[in-house]
Amino acid sequence: MPDNWGFVAAAYTLAAVILGGYWRMLVRKERALTALVRDDHTSRSRHPSRPGHPRPEPASRPPLP
Amino acid sequence: MMAVLGWLAGVALVAGLAMGFGVAPREVTQGNVQRIMYVHVPAVWVAYLAFAVGLTASIAYLARRRPGADRLAHAACEVGTVFLGINIVTGAIWGKPTWGTWWTWDARLTSVAVVFVMFLAYLLLRAAVEDRERGARYAAVLGIVAALNIPLVHFSVYWWRTLHQPPSLLKPGASTMPPVILAALLVNFAALALLGAYFVARRTRVLAAEEEVLA
Repeated sequence: MPDNWGFVAAAYTLAAVILGGYWRMLVRKERALTALVRDDHTSRSRHPSRPGHPRPEPASRPPLP
Repeated sequence: MMAVLGWLAGVALVAGLAMGFGVAPREVTQGNVQRIMYVHVPAVWVAYLAFAVGLTASIAYLARRRPGADRLAHAACEVGTVFLGINIVTGAIWGKPTWGTWWTWDARLTSVAVVFVMFLAYLLLRAAVEDRERGARYAAVLGIVAALNIPLVHFSVYWWRTLHQPPSLLKPGASTMPPVILAALLVNFAALALLGAYFVARRTRVLAAEEEVLA
């Protein structure tokens, strides 16, 4: 039987491409998510949340007419 | 921990290649094309393992509704599908010079194709359903149904007359394989299993981060 090295090379190359592609996809996704979380934390620390309609303390409220 | 697993997988892959191409001899009847078996066979074993993890995690999710179990099921089924894809592609490449055809609709090949398509549907379902909890529930049911087909794939070579040969290792009784070929196969299995575990761990972490961003 002939050796068919071309088929062997094709099989190993395709396996490497699939595994390498999947690994790369994971790394990219993880990097994108990390950047997103970091940006979110940075923007929150720059603009701390404030209540929209602060209510006065009960003692300082004017009495009802 | 995950980095250690990744490095271990890398070293094991190099050892597997050395075993497959340096230590294992040229097979007498098939020639060097038999070396494709050192990736084809371990890939399907790792896929089986991943689907078994997916099955267990899916059952756990349906029983307890813990998001961690759902993430593990998702990651394991996705990684299993990747390895099953490698098994199918390398099998077709081996089939052409050995059988004279890339593909034939015999029981083993057809049943493995059905399982592959079911897990692709599983991943599509995950992406399609917007309600996370509902998507997880549907996917868990589909994951269980798909994984239950794996015994059918394994025993198809006994139950029907197929072009695909019966298993050489996962069968009752002693192996008839030469020890050096068996060793090469097992080293490659260990390497791909470590890589599969690394992928599952990393994918689970990515899924957790995705949920954190969406929350």
